[in-house]
Amino acid sequence: MLKVTDLNAYYGEAQVLEDVFISVDQGQVVVMFGPNGHGKSTLLKSICGLVEKVQGRIEYKGQNINGLATEKIVNMGITYIAENRELFPHMTVMENLKLGAFSKNARPYEKNNLGRVFSLFPLLKNRQKQVASTLSGGEARMLAVARGLMSNADFLCIDEPSLGLQPSLRHEIFSTIKQINKQGKTVLLVEQNIPQIAELADRIYVMEEGQISFEGNKDEALNNESLKEIFLGM
Amino acid sequence: MIFSEDTILFLYEITDVIIAGLSTGSVYALMAVGMTLVYGVTKAFNFAYGDFFNMGGYFAWILIFGLGLQFGGYLTILVIVMPLMFVVGYGLEKLMVAPLRKREDWENKVMMLTLGLALFLSSLYTVVFGVRMKSLPPILEGTLEVGQLVFAYQDIMIFFMSLGGILLFGWMLNNTRTGMAVKAVAQNPTGAKIVGIPKERIFAFTFAISTVMVGFGGILLSQKWFINPNSGGTIMIKAWVVTAFGGMGSIRGGLYAAFIIGMLEAFVGWLFGMSYGMIALFILLLATLVLRPQGLMGKGE
Repeated sequence: MLKVTDLNAYYGEAQVLEDVFISVDQGQVVVMFGPNGHGKSTLLKSICGLVEKVQGRIEYKGQNINGLATEKIVNMGITYIAENRELFPHMTVMENLKLGAFSKNARPYEKNNLGRVFSLFPLLKNRQKQVASTLSGGEARMLAVARGLMSNADFLCIDEPSLGLQPSLRHEIFSTIKQINKQGKTVLLVEQNIPQIAELADRIYVMEEGQISFEGNKDEALNNESLKEIFLGM
Repeated sequence: MIFSEDTILFLYEITDVIIAGLSTGSVYALMAVGMTLVYGVTKAFNFAYGDFFNMGGYFAWILIFGLGLQFGGYLTILVIVMPLMFVVGYGLEKLMVAPLRKREDWENKVMMLTLGLALFLSSLYTVVFGVRMKSLPPILEGTLEVGQLVFAYQDIMIFFMSLGGILLFGWMLNNTRTGMAVKAVAQNPTGAKIVGIPKERIFAFTFAISTVMVGFGGILLSQKWFINPNSGGTIMIKAWVVTAFGGMGSIRGGLYAAFIIGMLEAFVGWLFGMSYGMIALFILLLATLVLRPQGLMGKGE
């Protein structure tokens, strides 16, 4: 479904990604591990057209999408759920969700998706009229994921959903992602703080210093001596 | 008799001044909202803003006196001029502002560019229309008499039409998909990009809408004042004072500020003469910058 080859990304002069390759098949959950500040977010942002200077090939459903404007990429069914949420602070929960369905591809399914999102996050349904900036960290995170789902995307790039959340809420994220995946969505996930997330993964990548340093399934990852630190040394 | 004759005369005069303040204030509100919108969304300052005010006036003048439009009065004029202003605004944004936005330090470059555009437009107006000022006929002639109070229909029309313009704009912002997208870009440009809002198109749309609003203001106020090819700078400064006084980026602040400043101008004009209006504005601006730099409703940094 998604195939990234020889990807190089830069912020100004600084190279952040170097010859990165990953591949994600339809219906999979692929998890990206690695230390902070080593380029995991940049990879997700590059896929979604949010990084200015990206070289290489990002193939989505057989088409190279590198260089396309974000709105075109969103329209093709890819969405980015940001680690810092990027909500519209002075709008209500409902307005944020409706804007999530802004792309042409999402508009006809707005009502359907709204129903699905509310059954996934009943709390948001009760807070429809609340202004986004007054939500708690966990609620804002839910809203960010929900807004991403409103785009009707088949392919979700989810960036550190547990960031800034109390540990008790982490399990909820785990089960949410499981459920989203069950509904047929493909997920590319960057997640550091939930060791058991690896159980969901069909494939695991580790990124270090802007390069992919490990690729394999979860058994291979768990048996890999040098990766133990990442999974156990939280 | 409870009041002496002098007191009654004084009350009439005060009423006149208040009406004048309300009608100019309402047009200032229209202009300030347009300016705040562009600043809030694109974070760039448009120095040619006042010259679009004159452009609206000149377009109306061409229709009335140049082409001798007879049919439908101001309604026809608005139906023709407003879309025209939109196209001009959209085109200029796409042709001149958008290419700059890809460069470093583009905010300053946009300022320089629009400053140049302002000079160009005022020269163009002088060449095409001459240095002599033009005026537009009132929307509605005559006066409304309530007891012994006399209101010019013109002032009433100006007030309600600008109010209508502002309400329509507010409705569009809150109830249409494009309006919501405009708000989204203003509140969080990255978030807007993530949900697939075409930022470039929203920038151009915002610029175009602000051009329409100030052009509309130009048509309304040119009936009371004159269209002067070189007045763009003064008008821009007024819109800027209203915006700064109200708080950059705050639409509600801009609305309050516009009426306060409209009133201030009317009262200063009545007490000391019209030429003191600008001085009063500058004193107000300086006082704002010293006492409350974020403006009435601005959030401050």
